[in-house]
Amino acid sequence: MTRDTPIDIAKSDVFSRCSDVRFRTVVDEAVVLRQEAAEVLVLNEVGGRILELLDGERSVSDIADAVSAEFEVDESMAATETASFIAELRDAGIVSLPVESSK
Amino acid sequence: MSFRGVVVKTWNENQLFSVLVELTYRCNWDCYFCYNDLSLRGTPLSKEQYVELFEELAHMQVMNLVLSGGEPLAHPDFLELGAKARDLGFVVRIKTNAHALRGRLAERVREEIDPFLVEVSLHGASAQTHDRQTRVAGSFDRLLANLEEAKRLGLRIKINSTLTRWNEAEVRGMFEVADRLELPIQFDPEVSPRDDGDRSPLDISPSSSGLRHLLAVERERAERHQETEREKAVREVARQDSELMAGGGSDQHCGAGSSGLAIDPFGNVYPCVQWRRAIGNLHDRKLGELWRGNPRLDEVRRLSRAAKDTVREAGENGWAMAFCPGAAETHTGSPLEIYDAARRRMELVGESIERESTRALPVLES
Repeated sequence: MTRDTPIDIAKSDVFSRCSDVRFRTVVDEAVVLRQEAAEVLVLNEVGGRILELLDGERSVSDIADAVSAEFEVDESMAATETASFIAELRDAGIVSLPVESSK
Repeated sequence: MSFRGVVVKTWNENQLFSVLVELTYRCNWDCYFCYNDLSLRGTPLSKEQYVELFEELAHMQVMNLVLSGGEPLAHPDFLELGAKARDLGFVVRIKTNAHALRGRLAERVREEIDPFLVEVSLHGASAQTHDRQTRVAGSFDRLLANLEEAKRLGLRIKINSTLTRWNEAEVRGMFEVADRLELPIQFDPEVSPRDDGDRSPLDISPSSSGLRHLLAVERERAERHQETEREKAVREVARQDSELMAGGGSDQHCGAGSSGLAIDPFGNVYPCVQWRRAIGNLHDRKLGELWRGNPRLDEVRRLSRAAKDTVREAGENGWAMAFCPGAAETHTGSPLEIYDAARRRMELVGESIERESTRALPVLES
């Protein structure tokens, strides 16, 4: 995925996977199916871990911290990359904000 | 990595990815050519055993769970088990005749299971032909009504049809039924013997002219791009573990016993729904134990590699056989021997390719 629009995600946002999304970690890759569109995406290990953490309970900031710790990435870089990746997942219809907390 | 690449990797690394569960052999239809072995006896798996199995499969990162039968909706715990599968994050597919898929039950399937796909069987373009195969009067009209209703509820549906001598003259009409309903349809061009080896279903195997006709109609539709992109996507994802996905990249012919398994109502575990060579029983051992270090599975995987040679040695159109080691074993006793239906299919597809290239020649020369 590549991104050419500004990241409009707050650190406190709490995303969750859309209800039609199914995913599994298969031989180090995350296979994601969007049932409604019959679309399959394959994410690398870090992407798969972020998707797993998008459980409707953790904030973007919590997830960035986890990525930084688990993959030994600089905190600032983890925060930027995680937010960017979550924005891509949101644009692809894989995650969303709960209605009451969406901006 | 592409999805296809992941599927190939599951084959190569023996990562279980898809499991088909035959919940029951009970059925409200009585199809003439049903492949189930209805004489099979044993202790059915309990609801608790299914729950334990599903939890184990989720832990093993199995992605696809197919609920089949018989008629899976006839299982008393179908909704509860389907909902459990959904909660565990499986991509759930249901193979059903859809006879009971109506009213509150259809709503509950949508709400509580939210399957990726409901695969239903259509056996003809007319009540006369369809009902002749199902041996249930009114099943055709009820199927069409139920499909309309299921679509309205937002269930994603795919039609599966087996080409037979009885319906081969209605192929075009069957495509038209699917088009009217705006549903994808896929034909299986061969009738299988029953799982106990009984060959009587082959009495209604399609004729060569019937198979030629199907190939012609399929080609004609492909040229007209008569399938929508979404219908095509559904078909592609649905056949993710078929031999067509892999082709190159793996030294195995298919994912039987390496990325896929099938389980009958009595807990017998097989490499594939078509390869009825039991590798163990869930009443004796858990699935994870059967999966690891099982010499019977090792043998299946070795045979799958050898089947690749069978196809290669059949010549340049060998792929067109859609060779299935399981079907080969049922037909001939050997998983590596080319069976009549596969050979005929290869010959007819070869003819079709030759006709196409001849037809294209004047264009190429102009």
